[in-house]
Amino acid sequence: MAIADRDSTETERPSTKRRATAESMATQQRSISVSEFFSKNRHLLGFDNPRKALLTTVKEAVDNSLDACEEAGIVPELWVRIDPAGKDRFRVAIQDNGPGIVKKQIPLIFGKLLYGSKFHRLRMSRGQQGIGISAAGMYGQLTTGKPVRIVSKTAAKKPAHYFEIQIDTKTNNPEILNGKGEGIDLPFGAAGEKMMADLAIEWESEIPPDFASAEGAVPAPLESGTRVTIELEGIHKRGKGSVDEYLEQTAIANPHVTIRYRDPDGNVMEYHRSTRKLPPEAREIKPHPYGVELGRLVTMLKDFPGGTLSQFLTDSFSRVSPPVARAICEQAKLSPRARTKRIGREEADTLYRAIQETKIQNPATDCISPIGEELLLKGLRQVVPGEFYAATTRPPSVYRGNPFQIEAALAFGGSPAVQKISFDLLSQLLDESDARTLKQFLVATFDGMGPDGAEKIMRESRLGTRQSVAKLTEPERKRLFDAMRNVNLADGQSMQVLRYANRVPLQFKLRDCAVTQTIMGMNWRPYGVSQSRGSLPGGPITVMVHVASVWVPFTSESKEAIAAYPEIEKELRLALQTVGRKLGVYLKKRQSIRQEGERRNVFLRYLGEVAQAVNKINGTDAKVVYDLLMKVAKKKTSEADVQLDERGKAIVEETEKEYGGGVLIVDQDVASVEKQLLERIARRGTVSEIETATDADE
Amino acid sequence: MAKKARRPAAPVTPAAPAVELSEADHRTLGTLRSLADRVVEGAVASRPPHLDIPSRSLGNVRFNKAKRFIEMGSGKNRRELFNLAQAKAYMQTMLVASGCKALVEQGKSTSIRGMYYLLKHTIAGTKEETFDEQADCDPIIEDVEVALNTLREELHIYAQNKGSIVGNLVFRDSGDEIDCSRMGSGGYTIPSIVEPNVIQFLKCDAKFILHVEKDTVWRRFNEDKFWRKHNCILTHGGGQPPRGVRRLLNRMHHELKLPIYCLLDNDPWGYYIYSVIKQGSINLAYESRRMAIPGAKFVGLRSRDFERCELSPSVIIRLNDQDIKRAKQIAQYPWFVDKKPWQKEIELMLRNGFKLEVESLISKDISYVTETYVPERLAEQDFLD
Repeated sequence: MAIADRDSTETERPSTKRRATAESMATQQRSISVSEFFSKNRHLLGFDNPRKALLTTVKEAVDNSLDACEEAGIVPELWVRIDPAGKDRFRVAIQDNGPGIVKKQIPLIFGKLLYGSKFHRLRMSRGQQGIGISAAGMYGQLTTGKPVRIVSKTAAKKPAHYFEIQIDTKTNNPEILNGKGEGIDLPFGAAGEKMMADLAIEWESEIPPDFASAEGAVPAPLESGTRVTIELEGIHKRGKGSVDEYLEQTAIANPHVTIRYRDPDGNVMEYHRSTRKLPPEAREIKPHPYGVELGRLVTMLKDFPGGTLSQFLTDSFSRVSPPVARAICEQAKLSPRARTKRIGREEADTLYRAIQETKIQNPATDCISPIGEELLLKGLRQVVPGEFYAATTRPPSVYRGNPFQIEAALAFGGSPAVQKISFDLLSQLLDESDARTLKQFLVATFDGMGPDGAEKIMRESRLGTRQSVAKLTEPERKRLFDAMRNVNLADGQSMQVLRYANRVPLQFKLRDCAVTQTIMGMNWRPYGVSQSRGSLPGGPITVMVHVASVWVPFTSESKEAIAAYPEIEKELRLALQTVGRKLGVYLKKRQSIRQEGERRNVFLRYLGEVAQAVNKINGTDAKVVYDLLMKVAKKKTSEADVQLDERGKAIVEETEKEYGGGVLIVDQDVASVEKQLLERIARRGTVSEIETATDADE
Repeated sequence: MAKKARRPAAPVTPAAPAVELSEADHRTLGTLRSLADRVVEGAVASRPPHLDIPSRSLGNVRFNKAKRFIEMGSGKNRRELFNLAQAKAYMQTMLVASGCKALVEQGKSTSIRGMYYLLKHTIAGTKEETFDEQADCDPIIEDVEVALNTLREELHIYAQNKGSIVGNLVFRDSGDEIDCSRMGSGGYTIPSIVEPNVIQFLKCDAKFILHVEKDTVWRRFNEDKFWRKHNCILTHGGGQPPRGVRRLLNRMHHELKLPIYCLLDNDPWGYYIYSVIKQGSINLAYESRRMAIPGAKFVGLRSRDFERCELSPSVIIRLNDQDIKRAKQIAQYPWFVDKKPWQKEIELMLRNGFKLEVESLISKDISYVTETYVPERLAEQDFLD
């Protein structure tokens, strides 16, 4: 007891013995390399989980390729290929027809974090920091131990360079593994081809003809380009946040791009460009004084090669003319002729405040290249089926000295494909389907059909959810067909939001994004759309929003959601209101046309009855009376048709006036819907594969 | 539809010659046929078919002061086949016409409910019924009546039998001789169709007609053999009298020259029954000629009867808001507005704030109404006109 007591008192007494000394601690203290930091904090760069890692890798490579092509003025042609490489391992290869990379730069670009051309300039581009692709390579290296493999070629007659690179995570430097640390040159011609075959290097050497090529055009040889191959641990799944979704959405916002995608199951999906016109080249601009923070200002002052304060201001910033510079200096009570080297910390602070207080013209906004209304409509239409499309491009605006521009497009899909197909096509699809259950068949075959919608149809048709597709009898098929027509699938469907920043789709953090928040905060009901308070509107609507800026404000480095600056929110609201209004006009018009159609049906319905009644009273042949009445009816309704046509024509003519442009209306006849459906199914591959993916998503 | 439509049509052709058609029937068939002919003619000339149906609303009736009954105006509603709102009604009108034609040809008649079932079927190629319920069919039948300017009975359609008659009167009904003085306690049920081709008066000793509102009061009078004592005819119409009752009253009044006295409740409803018997109803304004009895008199009950007959306060019924509204409305009818006694009568009821049923007189004595009240009124000639 006594001993125990003494022990406890001793432990309670503050220990005089230091656990560590400053000196011993100093031995532990050393610099952390960026690479090390990110290898431990991979979620910051979008490598949180294996599924996302696969997507991020594809995404970084595709974004880089597109940036490179556009900067070089080449119409982008992309190959994306994901091959399984063992359990939960994939080999991802992305090739472009871009300008290629000079030999010296290849190791640095792919083997060093924070190395790139985009960070130091203010220019609208997909990538911003120069972390992405090297981080993807590092992730692959960490999870599989395999190096990043790069093939790059800068001109038709020049050799291609082949590198196998690893990042030294301690020093953040590239290590070249092949060719004795020098890489290998693959000469032009047959010799190079043989070497490629020997080294098992994959390379797309020609571009297949596209829509604009003449009939019977032959593939064009690929003159330049880069292919990067990364092996990594990942999980491949379809659905939300998948590679498939990313590529599809990329195709929408980049109608000038062709992407050929081969997924791990060997299905090939091709997104063809609808235009060969490249977006106008984005100009690089100097930062605007309002957008510069104090720390940055200090660094810029330090880095300025020497000269007067006035020179510094006019040279480093946009919209600062000598008189403006003088005004800033006056406000800061500094001499315009003061040497920048002599500006101290405190003076920098006063200068910073003076900048904020001086009235400076907004930055030039021609540095942004929006997609444009026409291409927005084209792109959206290619991927989202619908009957009405509207798009708008807002004039550029500025937040914190950064120019930005908002674009919004909207697709309104009438009745989904499920309600438009014929019984014959349904039978055919049922025969061809290898889905295990009817529910899976419905979900996998029809776009916009969720499990809920499928359930509804099954209930209506009184068929069990586990009903096997192969065993459906003819009457059961008929019942299914009727149910598909009668069930209202629009119920409970909510708006799809596609978000883009500098043409790159944002697939995560939907709720955190300023775009979504703005949509939810708006009142959509006046546009004829249902919406419960503070949530996304309902109905078969897809909204696409593009935020273009020299510096897109993201909420985090993984670039998944746009931060809510009041200026950006305001522009978002205005853009969305514009397309919303157009939809409202269309919906109202559609309503009145539908009523006209009903009118005709009502007449026809009763003609037979009237003819029979007449026959019974005066014995006139009912058929004769019916035909006569039918003739009158046709005359009557053709008058109505003329009116309709006038209206229809009026739509074409008055589109500009009524909608203010930026509108596309698609006639949804049965044939075109069926064709679209078949095309989509063909592009997607077999049903059973999709079905397993959807199962997993649930 | 085709299947159903042919079924009644098939037996018509062979059966037709067996039925002997009256002159009226021939006339009806003629008008029905011309209705159908117009459709064919119009269709041949590729004109959209339409029907002009006289309007049966308050706006299209007026009070004929000379004749002292309500007449239908000349307002017509056009019903078009190729009009979204009217297409179905047009079709239904033609159906009713064809149904009537079948009835007339077969020499049969049916109730309005029967007509509804005769014509109800699913329209070919749709899930729609020709008539959803009887309420859809009834106004269409009336439309056909007015459009063709024919009577319901001429179309071989009748309403439910309602109302009874007893008294010193002998007539023939469909060939059977009916002596209304030998009808026991129940009386003779007044048929829906009482036109001269159905009912012929044979002998009448009665001096007047007493029409009471409802069955209970009528029974009291019958049990007390009031009609024998006062040599009259006793009728009731079960509340608002149907066409058969009104037409029979009209015929007896005009053909047998019998005055008519009405014993109705002292409430707006009773006033309105009297108004319909006397001047005709708005809905059947086109029938007023045959139905209205401008000479009918109102015996009671009167607003002053509570005091005059020293009734117990327990028998009064308070007027509700609707009663008051209705009373004021009736006071404004053109055929009441100029009649001071009626204005006073209604005013007094409103001032009293209560209404009285004929049955309330029973509180004095079971036979007070038959032995005291009505004989006194008749003796005093105390009526409202």
